[in-house]
Amino acid sequence: MPVDRPTFSESWYRVSNLRPRLRSTLQTHRQHYRGQMWHVLQDPSNNQFFRLNEAAYRFVGLLDGRRTIAQVWNVCNEQLGDSAPTQGEAIQLLGQLYTSNLLHGDMPPDAEGLFRRYKKRVTREVQGYMTNLLFIRIPLIDPDRFLDRFVGIFGVVFSWWGLVLWIGLLATGVYFIAGRAGDLVSRASSILDPESLPLLYASFVVVKVVHEFGHAFACKKFGQASGSGGEVHVMGIMFLVFTPLPYVDASSAWALRSTWHRVVVGAAGMFVELGIAAVAAVVWSQTSETTAIHAICYNVMFIASVSSLLFNGNPLLRYDGYYILSDLLEIPNLAQRSKEYLYYLVKRYIWRARNPRDPSHTKGEKGWLLFYAVASTAYRIFISVAILLFVSGFLPFVGVILAAVAVIAWVMVPIGKFIYYLISSGELMRVRAWAVTTSVALPALILGGLGLVPAPDPFYVKAVVEPVEMQIVHVGADGFLDEFLPSGRNVTPGGPLLARSVNPMLTARHEQLLAERREFVARRGAALVQEPAAVQIIEEQIGAVDEKLDRIRQQLASLQIRSPLAGMWVSPNIDRLKGAYLTRGQAIGLVATMDTLVVRAVAGQDVAGALMEDAAERVEIRMDGRPDKQIGGRIKQFLPAGGDRLPSPALSFPAGGPIATKPDDPTGTRTAERVFEIQVTPDPSDDVRLLAGQRVVIRFDTTPKPLLAQAKRALLQMLQRRFQI
Amino acid sequence: MVRIPSTTWRTLAQRTPDKPLPRGVDAAWDAAVGIAKAFVPRRMRFLRRADRVLALEKEYRDRGSGRLREAAAEMRDRYRRGGDTDEILEHAFALVREVARRETGMSIFRVQVAGALALEAGCIAEMATGEGKTLAATLPATIEGWRGKGCHIVTHNDYLATRDADWMGSIYRFCGLRVAAIEQGMQSPDRREAYQADITYCTNKEVTADFLRDRLSLGRLQGLPSVLMAKIAEGAGSGTDRLVQRGLHFAIVDEADSILIDEAVTPLIISGEAPNPEQVEAFRQATCLAAQLDPARDFRVNQRYREVDLTPAGKDRLEELADDLGGVWAGARRREELVTQALTAREFYLRDKQYIIDEEEKVVIVDEFTGRLMPDREWRDGLHQAVSAKELVEVQSPKDTYARVSFQRFFRLYRKLAGMTGTAAEAWREFWQIYHAPVVTIPTNRPCIRQVLPDRVYATQGAKWKAIVKEIRRLHETGRPILVGTRSVRASEHLSRLLTDAGLDHQVLNAVRHREEAQVTAAAGQPGKITVATNMAGRGTDIKLGAGVADLGGLHVLATERHEAGRIDRQLFGRSARQGDRGSAQAVVSLQDELVRRHAPHLSASLRKRYGRTEREVGGPVSRHAFNAAQRRAEHLSLAQRKGVLRADDWLDEYLGFAGAEQ
Repeated sequence: MPVDRPTFSESWYRVSNLRPRLRSTLQTHRQHYRGQMWHVLQDPSNNQFFRLNEAAYRFVGLLDGRRTIAQVWNVCNEQLGDSAPTQGEAIQLLGQLYTSNLLHGDMPPDAEGLFRRYKKRVTREVQGYMTNLLFIRIPLIDPDRFLDRFVGIFGVVFSWWGLVLWIGLLATGVYFIAGRAGDLVSRASSILDPESLPLLYASFVVVKVVHEFGHAFACKKFGQASGSGGEVHVMGIMFLVFTPLPYVDASSAWALRSTWHRVVVGAAGMFVELGIAAVAAVVWSQTSETTAIHAICYNVMFIASVSSLLFNGNPLLRYDGYYILSDLLEIPNLAQRSKEYLYYLVKRYIWRARNPRDPSHTKGEKGWLLFYAVASTAYRIFISVAILLFVSGFLPFVGVILAAVAVIAWVMVPIGKFIYYLISSGELMRVRAWAVTTSVALPALILGGLGLVPAPDPFYVKAVVEPVEMQIVHVGADGFLDEFLPSGRNVTPGGPLLARSVNPMLTARHEQLLAERREFVARRGAALVQEPAAVQIIEEQIGAVDEKLDRIRQQLASLQIRSPLAGMWVSPNIDRLKGAYLTRGQAIGLVATMDTLVVRAVAGQDVAGALMEDAAERVEIRMDGRPDKQIGGRIKQFLPAGGDRLPSPALSFPAGGPIATKPDDPTGTRTAERVFEIQVTPDPSDDVRLLAGQRVVIRFDTTPKPLLAQAKRALLQMLQRRFQI
Repeated sequence: MVRIPSTTWRTLAQRTPDKPLPRGVDAAWDAAVGIAKAFVPRRMRFLRRADRVLALEKEYRDRGSGRLREAAAEMRDRYRRGGDTDEILEHAFALVREVARRETGMSIFRVQVAGALALEAGCIAEMATGEGKTLAATLPATIEGWRGKGCHIVTHNDYLATRDADWMGSIYRFCGLRVAAIEQGMQSPDRREAYQADITYCTNKEVTADFLRDRLSLGRLQGLPSVLMAKIAEGAGSGTDRLVQRGLHFAIVDEADSILIDEAVTPLIISGEAPNPEQVEAFRQATCLAAQLDPARDFRVNQRYREVDLTPAGKDRLEELADDLGGVWAGARRREELVTQALTAREFYLRDKQYIIDEEEKVVIVDEFTGRLMPDREWRDGLHQAVSAKELVEVQSPKDTYARVSFQRFFRLYRKLAGMTGTAAEAWREFWQIYHAPVVTIPTNRPCIRQVLPDRVYATQGAKWKAIVKEIRRLHETGRPILVGTRSVRASEHLSRLLTDAGLDHQVLNAVRHREEAQVTAAAGQPGKITVATNMAGRGTDIKLGAGVADLGGLHVLATERHEAGRIDRQLFGRSARQGDRGSAQAVVSLQDELVRRHAPHLSASLRKRYGRTEREVGGPVSRHAFNAAQRRAEHLSLAQRKGVLRADDWLDEYLGFAGAEQ
C-alpha cells in the first residue's frame, strides 16, 4: 500500500473478537517526556518495563476483558482520529504485549509458545554474553530487604539536607588538598605501579560497592516516596574487561515519575563516591606519608573522583552518565534510538527508501539523536581500541585473542548483519540496487581513495643546527685570564686577540733566563781572553738557555689566544672566567663560521629506512616551537652506518627530544637504540636566522604513497614495538 | 475412562510443528541444501527404478482378475501393517500398473512410472503436458490409499476433479479402495463422506475452504491437546464431530506450479456479510474526489510498483475538497488512504484486463495469469469497492473475515506433498525453499521436436500487432493451425478485431467466453484453424492435431507478449509439439510491453529512444537481453514477495499466540 499507515489489516479478524486485558498485577506509571505523555507498564514479577505512548495506552487501557478488541479499536478511532492506532499497529502492539507476557487473553494459555519464547530469550541472552565478553554480568543476591530496613537511615543522603551536607563535605575536601596539589600530581604517575595494584583494586571494589548501594538506596527512597516501590532485586558481579566489580539493577527507577528523581538515582553512585573522595582527601592530608592509611586514602580519592567521573560520568559509555543524560534529555532508550535515527536518515536521504519509520517523537530530539549516534560510535571505537591496546600491553597473548574476538564481534558481525539486511530487507525492496550501490560504492570510494590516491608521506625528524666549520678554542698555557673579547664578536686569525692570560711565573722565569744568558755571554767574553778552552762549554750552556727561552717564549705567546679561523667567537661564559687560572688544554669557547650551518637530524630505525630509500632531496626546516617560520634545505649527506651517539644531548629524551638515551651515560648522548644521522644544508635566508645549537624539526618528503599503505606501515611498526615480533 | 478413537487425532493430523521459514544463516544453509539437492541425479534413479517396475510386468500380466484382486488385497494389508520397503513398492507399482492397463486400457509408460516414483518420494515431477500425469498419479495415490490415511489429489477445477475421479475410479476400486470427488456446492455430510474415501479428488479451493471451516468449527480449541481435552470433558458434543476432513497426510497437486506458486499467496477467505452503508458511501465519495485531482500536480503514478502517491499539494487540495464532508473525511490518514485507493483503482485496474463487469453488474476479477474469471474472489483493503465505485455499479460492503489462509501456507501443512506439472524446473528454488520439495524433470516418452524460434522484437505496440497479423496470415496460408496466446482478455479482443479486419477467420478463447473453452481447445489443432487464447485458457485439455497437420509442421504457437514468469511462456509453447508431434513456437514482443516497462525500465527506455517509432524488427542481443533480464527480475521479485507474505504470517503466529494459531 502506498499509504504510511494503512488503517485496515487483513489479519484483523484473528484478534477482533478477542477480549484480552492487561495482567492484573501490572503497575502503570505515567511519565512525561519532552512534553509528551507516556505510560510505563511495570511487571513487578520480573521488573520489566514496557513503554506506551498516549494513543497506544488508550487502546490498551480500554481492554478490560469484557470489550472485544474490535469495539475498543472503534472507540479509539472515534476519540483519537488520526493518531489512533491502525489495525496493523494494534496487532503489533498486542503481539508485543503478549510476547512480553503482559497480556491476559481469554484463551487457554499456549504452553508451547510460552516455552518457545523462554527458550528464545535464553538463547538471546547467551548470545549476548558471547558477543559481549568484556562486559559480563552475573546476578547474585537480592538486596531488597536489606534496603528496606536501612533506607530510613541512608535515604537521608538523598534529600536537600543531604545535598547541603554533601556540598559542605566537598568544600572541606577541596580545602584540605588545595595546598597540596603538587603532591597529588606527583603521586598520580605511580598509582598504576604493579606493587600497589592489589591495594588499588581492593579500594576500587569497596568504593564501587558503596557506589552501587548509592544507586540502590536512591532508587528505593524515591520509589517509596512516589509509590512505585523502587524495588531493587538484583545485585551481582560484573566482569568489566575480566575485572570483577559489583553492580546493581536499579531499573525500577524507570517507574519514577519525576525526571529529576531518575536523574538523581542515576547520579547517586557518583554523588556518594565524591563524598567518599572528600573524606579520603581530608584523611590523606592529615596523615603522614609513610602510613598505609595514607596510601589507601590516596587510592580511594583517586578512584572516587577521577575514575568515577571519567568512566561513570561519561555519557558516551553505557554507565551512569548515559542514563543521566538520557533522563535529562528526556529521551529514553537514547542509544538504541539514536542508532535507529541514524539508519533512518540514511534510509531516507541516501537510499530514498519508501516510508521509512522515523524513530524520533519530537523535533527537538532529532539533533540530540544524531549527535549521540555519531559521538557514541566514535567514542566506542576509540575506547575499544584503547582497552585492547591496554590489555595487550600487559598480556600480549590474551590481547591478540581479545582483538580477534573484538574484530569478530564489532566488525565482522555488524558487517554480516548489514549485508544480510541489504539483501533481504523488505524495506529496501525497491531501492535495493541503489542501496547496495551506495553501500558498496562509499566504502569502495573511501578505500580506493585511501588505497590508490597517493598522499604526501612526510616524516618529521628533530634535528640540531650546527656550524659547518667550528673550532674549539683551548688554552695553550696555564695562566690567569686577563683580557678577553666578549662572546659574539666576529673574529679573524689576524684580528684582535680572543683572550690573553698572564702567568707571572712564566714572565719571571723568562726574565731569569734572560739574566742567566746575559751572565753566560759575559762569562764567554771573559773566557775568550783568559781561558779559551772553556769557551766551548759556555757556548753550549748558552745554547741550552736559548732553548729554554724559546719554550718559555712560545708559552708566553700561547697565552695570547688568537682566532683559528674567521667566524664568530662564541664563549658565553667567558666573562665569569676573568682572573681565573686556566690550565693548559682547557676549552674556553669556540669560533664558528656562522654563515655556513649544517642541520644534523637523527632518525630512529623506523624512519631511517624509509628515508634512505626515497627521501626527496629538498626538505623543510621549522623552528621548534615556531611552526609558522620555515626555510628550505637540501639533504647533504646520509650516514648510513648507524651509530649510538647523538650529535647533541638536546635531541635526547630527558632534554625533551625524541630519542631515548641510556640513563647511565653521563654525556646523555648514548642512545638506547641505533640511530642514523642525516645532515641537511639549510638555504640561505634573510627572513629566518638559524642559530647554532638550535633545535629544529625537519620535514622530509618521500614519494607520495596511498594513505592505506602509510597506515599499514604505521600499524605494523606499532605491533612490532608492542609484541616484539 | 473415556475412549477416544484414534480418528479424532487423525482428523487433526498435519505436519507438526508447522515450521516457520528459516531465516539468516539457517536460510542460507537451507538454500545451499536445495542447490546441493538439485544436483542429485534423481531422474536417473527414478528411471532405473521404473525399469525395475517394468521388469515385474510379467509377474502380474498373466494373473486372472480374481488373483490380481487378491494380490491387491494382500498388498493393501501389507501397507496397513506398515510394511513399507522399496521392493514392496516396486511390486505394488507393477501391480497397479497392470490394474490400470486392464481397467482403462492405457499402458503406463516407463517415464510415467518414473514420475509416479518421484511423486511417491515427495518431489515435484515435471512431466510434459500430454504425457499422462493423471494416470501416473494413480500409482502413488493407490499406495497411499492402502496405507489408509487418505490421499488428496488436488486439481485446478471442479471439472477436472470429477472427470479424473470418474476416469481413474475403476483402478482404485479394483484395488479395494474408495474414491470420491469434492464438488462445489456439496453439503457437509457428503463432504465428510468424500473425505473419508481413501482417495479424494478435489480442487485447491474446496480442500482449503473445508480445512478453514473445520478450524472455525473447532472454535477456540487450538491444537490437538485442547481438542482431546475438550473431547474428554464434553464427550461427543465437542467440535470434532463437525469436522469434515480427516487430516492432511498426502497431497498430489496437479498443475503444481499454478497452485503452489502462481496462486500461492492468494488467500482463501471465509467471510460473512457486514453491511456498512457509511463505508460504501465513503468509497463513492472517494471516487468523486479522486476525479477532481490533477494528475500532474496532485499525485504521482509509479508504473513499476503499480502505486499512486499523493503529493503534498495533492494532500492540501484533498483537505480542501473534503472540508465539508465530515465523518471519515475529517482525519487525514483515512482520507488520503481512501483517495489513494480510488486513484489506484482508476490508474491500474482496467476493465477487461484485471476485471470484467458480469451480467449482474458486479465487478468480477480476471486472473491475470490464467485469464479465468474469479467470481468468488475480491481485492483486499477496499480496492474491490473502489473499483466498483469507479464503474458506478453497486458497491458491496467489505466482508468480515472469519478465517483466512493462503494456499502456500495451507499446502505446507501436509505431512507429505508431491506435485506434478508441465513446467517446474524454473521454479525449483521456490519449490525447495517454501515446500521443501525437490523438482525432478521426467523426460518425455518420445523426444520433443518442438522448434522454439527466437523472439521477434518491435519498437512499438502498433508495429508488433501488425507483424503478428502478418505472421498469422503467412502461416495460415500454409494451412498450419495457429494458437495465439495473449496476456489479457483485452489484448485477445484487440487481436480478434485486427484479425477480423484482416479477414482472417478465427476463434477467441478467453475468460469472458469460458463456457466454450473445451470445444474450442479441442478444435484448435484442425488444419487452418486460428485460435486466440489468453495464456492459460483451456489448460489441462489437449490440443490434438487434425489429419495431415503433422506433415505441414504441426501446431504453431505465437506468444504476443512475454510473461512475467518464464515458466508460463513455456507452458504456452508446450501446447504445440506434444507427444513427439512436430510443432513450433515463437514470441513476438515490443519494447512497449508492460514486462520490460516495469522490470527493465531504464534499458527498455533507452532502447525505445534509440529505435524511435520504426516499424521494422529491432531484435538484437541487447533487446532480447532486456526481455530476459526483465523476466528474471520479475520472477525474483515475486518470489521475494511470496516469501515475505509467509514470513509475515509466521510473525503473526508467533505474536498472536493469544489469538490461537491460525491452523
